Amino acid sequence: MPEIPDWFRPVAEYMLREGLPETLKIAAVAVTASTLIGLVLGTLMTINFLPLRSVIRLYIEVWRGIPILVTVLFIYWLPAFELGPFRVQMNAYASAAVGLTLWGSAQVAEATRGAVRSIPKEQHEAAAALGLGWIGRHVFVIVPQALRRLLPPMVGLLVNIIQNTTIAFVIGVSELLETGNRQFENLTLQTGNGHPFTIFGFVLVVFFIISFPLTLLARYLERRLV
Amino acid sequence: MFHTRVEILAAFDTAFIWENREELWEGFKNTMKAAAIGVAGSFVIGLLMGAARAQRIPVISQIGGAYVEVIRNTPILVQIIFLFYGLPQLGYRVDAFTVAWLSITIWGGAFNTENFRAGFEAVPTRLREAGYALGFSPLQTFVNVTLPIGGRIALPSSINTYISVLKNTSLLIAITYPELTTVANGIQANTFKTFEMFAVLAVVYLAVVWTLSALIRLLEARLALPERV
Repeated sequence: MPEIPDWFRPVAEYMLREGLPETLKIAAVAVTASTLIGLVLGTLMTINFLPLRSVIRLYIEVWRGIPILVTVLFIYWLPAFELGPFRVQMNAYASAAVGLTLWGSAQVAEATRGAVRSIPKEQHEAAAALGLGWIGRHVFVIVPQALRRLLPPMVGLLVNIIQNTTIAFVIGVSELLETGNRQFENLTLQTGNGHPFTIFGFVLVVFFIISFPLTLLARYLERRLV
Repeated sequence: MFHTRVEILAAFDTAFIWENREELWEGFKNTMKAAAIGVAGSFVIGLLMGAARAQRIPVISQIGGAYVEVIRNTPILVQIIFLFYGLPQLGYRVDAFTVAWLSITIWGGAFNTENFRAGFEAVPTRLREAGYALGFSPLQTFVNVTLPIGGRIALPSSINTYISVLKNTSLLIAITYPELTTVANGIQANTFKTFEMFAVLAVVYLAVVWTLSALIRLLEARLALPERV
């Protein structure tokens, strides 16, 4: 068992105290927003109305096709603009969350479309026979059943988004990778040895500890539910 | 808001893009260079490791399994930075280009291992048994039966991995490898031609990604198995 060197403890504590909560916060915002937007868009896509379908299809293909980093950088560099009475200038944190949400909602929308389609049409008919309109049918009957099928890909999305929060490092958000990088730079300046192998290795380990159980959960759910 | 949008459209400077065409073209070539090695490398790794996983070759199969889990459960951006700063500490002198192709190859190889493993494992046992009945050795059976059928099954998902490999080259901005995103972002940071440069990025990435996606659909139809297995 190798000794833990003296310098490592404060570095790791700083990263876990300052960086990790930011990582998890961005991930939580992006996952929640992606799920809500994606569920609505994916369900709307099952309506047989070509213009609407085409617009949502375009949204999905654009945000899935462009690398997330490019989307995040674009939002970050966007000049301030007026939205009604508000003047909007995105900070780094919001840029990362919005960029991840555009990508994540496209993923959820595509998965939702498939899941909603897979619900047998008898369910629609039975719900209609109960007097439910289109919105009631979907909110109370169809989407809840589709959610069961959506659960495994949603856990997968959570893993993906947690990992992709590191993109925020490029625009300077103090998430886990950025705090690690700061410590690496400080140590390099102070002692001449930044210990990059250990510090960035530690970042890898933390992400693995978070992601791996979730990956196993997704796999388990896939076997159980589908 | 309408007012702002008109201003932006009026200010969109196509000539500026043309003036910077050479720099952008260099960036695009660097993107494609790293992506080409990444795609080829991840194809080879995926094929070999996927075969070892599907055939349950002892030791190699377990190493392959661990490799896949580690790469898939850690962010590629951290992998890139880990290699870029970590390898020199271990005594390997590496430049940005080496880390560029190496990191995306390792990443794509892990995802492709899973694609090929799933493809090979989807080949029904009875087809392999037919191979053995013809007197084929395990290796001959793999090359003549499992590979052509499983390879076709794995093809669409492996192209999806190549698409991701290509998109991941944009992350190489973190190690200042001069690929397309790094170049375009650098130009816009100096000139404030934000819309022009990101329009270029969006058009280029979407053109390549959409072409490859169309290829998947085309191949899926062309390579559909003659007999449903």
